[in-house]
Formats: sequence, C-alpha cells, structure tokens
Amino acid sequence: MGSQIRLPNQSWVPGLNILRLTHSRRERLTFLALIAPNFILFGIFTFWPLIYNFYLSFTKWNMIAPTPTLIGLDNYATMIADPIFWKVLGNTLYLATGSIAIRLVLALALALVLNQKLAGRDIYRAIIFSPTFTTGAAVALVWTWILHKDLGLLRLPLNLLGIVSPNWLTDINWTIPALIIVTVWRGLGYDMVIFLAGLQGIPAELYEAARVDGAGRWSLFRHITLPMLSPITFFLIVTSIIGALQVFDLVAVMTGGGPMNSSKVYVYYVYENAFKFFKVGYAAALSMVLFLITLAITIFQTRLSRRWVHY
Amino acid sequence: MNKKIFAVFALLVVVGVVVGCAAPASPTAPPAAATQAPATKPPATAAPAATTAPTSAPVATSKPAAPGVVKIVYWRALSGAPGDAQEEIAKRFNASQKEVEVEVQYQGTYPELQRKLQAALAARVTPDVVMFDSPQMPYFAKNGALAPLDDFAKGADSVDLKNYIPGLLADGYFDGKLYALPFARSTPILYYNRDMFKEVGLPDRAPETWDEFADFCKKLTKKEGAETKRVGYAVQMGTTTAHWYFQELLYAYGNDVSDDKFKVLIDQPEGVAAAKFLQDLITQGIAIPGTGPDGAQGEFTNQRSGLHFGSTGSLVNIVTTSKFKVGVGFMPAAKRRQVPIGGSVLSVMAASPKEKQAAAWKFIKYMTNTESNVYFVQKTGYMPISTTAVNSQEMKDFMAKNPEFKVAVDQLQFVRPQASIISVPEGTEIFRQLVEKLTVGKVDPATAMKEAAAALTKAYNETFK
Repeated sequence: MGSQIRLPNQSWVPGLNILRLTHSRRERLTFLALIAPNFILFGIFTFWPLIYNFYLSFTKWNMIAPTPTLIGLDNYATMIADPIFWKVLGNTLYLATGSIAIRLVLALALALVLNQKLAGRDIYRAIIFSPTFTTGAAVALVWTWILHKDLGLLRLPLNLLGIVSPNWLTDINWTIPALIIVTVWRGLGYDMVIFLAGLQGIPAELYEAARVDGAGRWSLFRHITLPMLSPITFFLIVTSIIGALQVFDLVAVMTGGGPMNSSKVYVYYVYENAFKFFKVGYAAALSMVLFLITLAITIFQTRLSRRWVHY
Repeated sequence: MNKKIFAVFALLVVVGVVVGCAAPASPTAPPAAATQAPATKPPATAAPAATTAPTSAPVATSKPAAPGVVKIVYWRALSGAPGDAQEEIAKRFNASQKEVEVEVQYQGTYPELQRKLQAALAARVTPDVVMFDSPQMPYFAKNGALAPLDDFAKGADSVDLKNYIPGLLADGYFDGKLYALPFARSTPILYYNRDMFKEVGLPDRAPETWDEFADFCKKLTKKEGAETKRVGYAVQMGTTTAHWYFQELLYAYGNDVSDDKFKVLIDQPEGVAAAKFLQDLITQGIAIPGTGPDGAQGEFTNQRSGLHFGSTGSLVNIVTTSKFKVGVGFMPAAKRRQVPIGGSVLSVMAASPKEKQAAAWKFIKYMTNTESNVYFVQKTGYMPISTTAVNSQEMKDFMAKNPEFKVAVDQLQFVRPQASIISVPEGTEIFRQLVEKLTVGKVDPATAMKEAAAALTKAYNETFK
C-alpha cells in the first residue's frame, strides 16, 4: 500500500521534476521567497536609483533638457580639481569624527550611571532620549537661538566659566564645533539606550567570578564591561559614521553651509549642485563618491573589528 | 552556480542596507533647506515651518472635464494669505467663463516648487502654468521649458503690455522674447525704529543716501565697554536674501552688476567702492552680520539694530512683531536710486499642447488684470503691477489707509529687474559668499569683487552660455 503513494513531485507529472529538490536547495528557495518582497521594494526604490545615479554620474544634465548628455569621466575629473569638494569632504570628516568620539564617550558614561539603581532614573533616561525623536529642522531652529552670541542660552554657562561666547554660526572657526554640539545632543540618547541594552546583556556571573578573583572596579570595567560591549560599540560606530556623513537638515536650517563654506557638508553640497546649480550629473558623481567612501569605511572597520570586537 | 547567485544576492542586500541607511537624509533634506526661503521676498506669512512633506509632484488632472472645456493645471507657491488669494482668483476665473477650467496645486516655497518642476520635466509630466521666483525664470526659458508669450499677447486674447509697470514687466523677457507676466511682486524697503531714532535725536525719517545711512548707524550704535549692545544695521546674510540687498547697494553706487549679455561688472571701481562701504560699516562696528533664526530681521525686531532692509511682503509681519513704532522709507541712494525688484512671475510650459497653452494664457492674463491684482494687493501687501491698478480708486483708498504701503508703491518708479547674472543657477550662492567675505571674512574688497566676478563668469560659461 505504502509504495503506492506518490508524492506530487514524482515524474508522472511532466515538468514537476524540477521540484524534486535536495534539502539544501529547498532551503535556499525558501530563503529567496522570504526575502523577495523586501528585495523587490529595495530593488525599485534603492537599487534602481543607485544604478541610475551611477549612469547619471557620467552625464551632464540639468533635468530640464529632455535627455542627459554623456561626458564620460568629466564629472569625476572636475571633482578632483574642485576646491569646494575637498573643503566639504574635510568639513564632513571633521564633523563626523568630532561628534562620534564625544557621543560615544558621553553615551557610555551616561549609560553606566543610569544603569545603577538611582531614584528617577527612568525619567532621566527619557529626558536624555527625547532629542532622538524630535524633528531635525525644529531642533536646528531652536539651536540657532541657543547659540546666539548675545541672546542665546548657551552663553550663560559659558559666562559663568569666564568664557565669552564665540559667534558660533558666523565665525568660520566655530560653525563645525557648533554643529558638533547639536549633533552630540541629538544623538546621545540613542547611543545611551543601545549601550544600556548592552550593559544589561552582560551576565552577572562574569562580574561575580572576577570579583572572587579580586578584580577592582576599574578592572571589571576594563576587562569585562568594555570587551562585552564591543559588538555594541562597533554597531554604534558604523551606524553613526554613516549617519554623520549624511548630516543635512541641521546645516540647511542653521547655516546654509556658510559663512564662506565653513559649515558646508557633503550631502548639502550634493543637494546644492542638483537643485540649486542644476548640475545633476555632478551631484550624481558626488553621491557615487560618498557611497564608495561609506562602503570603504565600513569594510575597513569590519576588518579592523576582528581585532577588538568580541562576540 | 547557485552559490554564485546566492553570493550576488547577499552582496546586493548588503549594498541595500548601506544605501538604505543613507536614504533618510534625502526626504528630510529639501524641505529643511527651503525653510530659509520665506524669510525674504515672499511675505512673512509663508510659514517657514510648513515644510516636512517629501517632494512628490502630484500632477494628474483628476476629474474628467466637461466636453469643450480645456482643463489646465497651475502650480503655485506661497502659503497663507498670498496662497488663499491665488485660490480665490482662480475660482473667480473658473466662474467667469466656460472654456477653461484651472486646477490650482500648491507646491510649497519657490525653491520647493522649482525642484518639483525639475523632477516633473525629467518625468515629462508637467503642469501648464507655473509661478517662478523671477530670476529663476530665464534658466528654464533658455532650456526650452517655457512657451514664448509674444504671439498670445498680440493674438485674439491680446493684452496691453504697456499697462504693466515697465520695471516689473522687464524681467519677464529673456533673449528678446516674453516668457512671463509679473504677478506677486515685492521690493525691498527701508524699515527704521522710530522710538530709537527719537531716543538718539535723529529726525523721524529714513536716511536719504547711503552716506547718511552710515551717519545714522553711528548715532544708533551703543556700546558698553567691549560689548556692543546695539548697532545701526544688521546685514542680510541668508542664501535667499544676501544678493538682493547687496545688488541695491551696487545699483545705488552706479554699478550695473552685469549687462544683458551676462558680462559681469561688479569688479569695476564703483562696485569695489560699494563693497568697501559695506565692509567699513562692519569694521567701524556700526553694523553686524545678521544671525539667528530670523537673521537681520530678528536683530531689528529685538531692537538690537535700528535700521533694516526688508521685503514689502514682510511689512505686516515686522509691524506686528515689533514692540516699537516702525517707520518705512525708500532704499538709500548714492549716485542714483535704483531698486531691484523681487517676487514672482507666471509662465506657461512649452510641453503643454497648443490649446492648453492658449487656455493658460487666458488664465495668466486674468491673474494679472487690474481687478485680480487689486484684490491680490489688498489681501497680501504685494505690489500693484499695472498703471490701471495703481490708479484705481480701491488702490488709492487702500494706500490712504496704509501709509507705509504707499511708500513702497511710490518707490515703484525706481525699480529695475535684478541683474542678469543672478539668473545663473550659482549666482545667488556666489553673491552670498561675496557678502560673507566682505563682512565676516574681512577680505579686501577689490579682491573679493574680483574673485566673485571670476566665479560668476565661470558659472555662466559652464551652465548658462
């Protein structure tokens, strides 16, 4: 009897042979079927624009003329000779490194404090996290007031320290530091929450065992907390670098890239070229380079992470 | 084989994640930038906050039109009162005749509208009538996106072009052809703090000349030790303001900025002299670069400066947000008095079929006729655009009730279009950096003007020639 039963994928149905799959093949198909919906959306809204952008980077076009004109590698050559491109790249890296370093250190410190059993710590956590879900443009507007040299709130604590507030948004030396302050304020809460999650994931036995071995507070932190947090730290570094390379709203509202390009960051320059200067091809080339820079930094970090990240 | 496909898939997913992280920047991006725009030429009612919508471009004409009716789509900018007034005029237009039905679609601020138009042109789905910040129009005309209007102006639906105020009609022309009619026009005027003038013993009037302006600034400046409590004037530094006011100074000094062949003239002696004048105001400590969210206007309304240049469109806003008596006057003169006109014009798209273009012409003719214009002016504070509008009884009554507004209308005799070179896409940004170099960077005026002239010429050769 049992031998009579035929599975539907047997050869008596022509064409169904193909369904006679090995286990691993079937798994692979399942995998593809599961990612397909997401992948199709990504394809339409991410990969296709990416490919089209790649094509546009070899053209000269203002989006008004009917078709782009192919000009080969000219846009990339222009970029190398464009002093503003280098200036903007420098500004962006300055902003990225400055803000990320300060953010991570402060966020870790806050997370360590707010991981203790303190009265009202949930309130503090909520307060510190709140800038994360405010709108960029609104944050930027409020901060232009806070940073005002003679009327802003920030000048008060500075005055107490005997410091005269600089002209944050009109002095070419202070625009990026001003942006770093706002970026840190805005990103701190998010980093802290991720660190908190990481801290709570560290098994208590580790600390107990180390204490039995006579480890002090610093040793506990240095040899257990930091290594156990390393995957989290790695995640935060990668995502914040990608985020910091793409700062736009703050600059657009607070400075418009000025004065004298001192606060012009990469994505703002891309936007300016595409929608103000009508240099769509050049903007596309700039975007390609930013993409490659981001990819390179991420790959480099992944490589480097093998030395210091403990999973 | 399978492994390869798998690997490719995996790679694409990784790329997708990297790029996907990138994505959030772009949707939030353009609106944020656009928030700077309303501060200038459009009236202050164009709320800077209403910005967060991603830039989609709804074009489709939705309802099926009745047979014989030509349906057209009009893309407008400006929110608040100037937006409502446009909707109302369009409604009146639709009710006034049966051949054309216009659908008004709000597209945000001028820069937002322009970006959407760029996208619409790339997608080849365009509206029929669009509103342009006036210096932006020539670039679109030059690239063939706009329909010349000369034949319509002479045709069956003719219009008396001479009735438009010449300085306002002039920038509707590009390369000898008419591409736009004036609509929501504004001019810069001088605002002053009457209380502050009284306090320091200045006469209750605006300074006549730039030299007198400097004297007034000196008297208004107040220092306490090393700290400057108050200055005469805060310089407009914004991406959409700096070029407008600086042009007026150049015009006044007898510099034409650029000629109609786009030859840049700012590095000529009169231009350098004007630049030096501006820089000297800063060096003497009687003017400052305007900062903060409201820029120069914020300094003025907070009584930290006594003189201010602003659009006529900001009149209501400045008067209502100031806790002091506000006076207005003409822009200062030097060798001459010439005021660059701002605000917007209306154009017809070249991609629209002939019958829609004709319908579009009917619509913009209606939008700019005396009755519509008088209505628009009274609702918004923008300038009357035609002689018949200025001379109409309603306008006279309106001016009698609003003496500040009358100053702006009287100043219309001195208006001229913005310089040709401003229409080069990079023009405004180069001018803004020039003002920054003079005020913040302390760059020698001759050098700054020379560098800016070179940059403008280069930009023209690259993107406009």
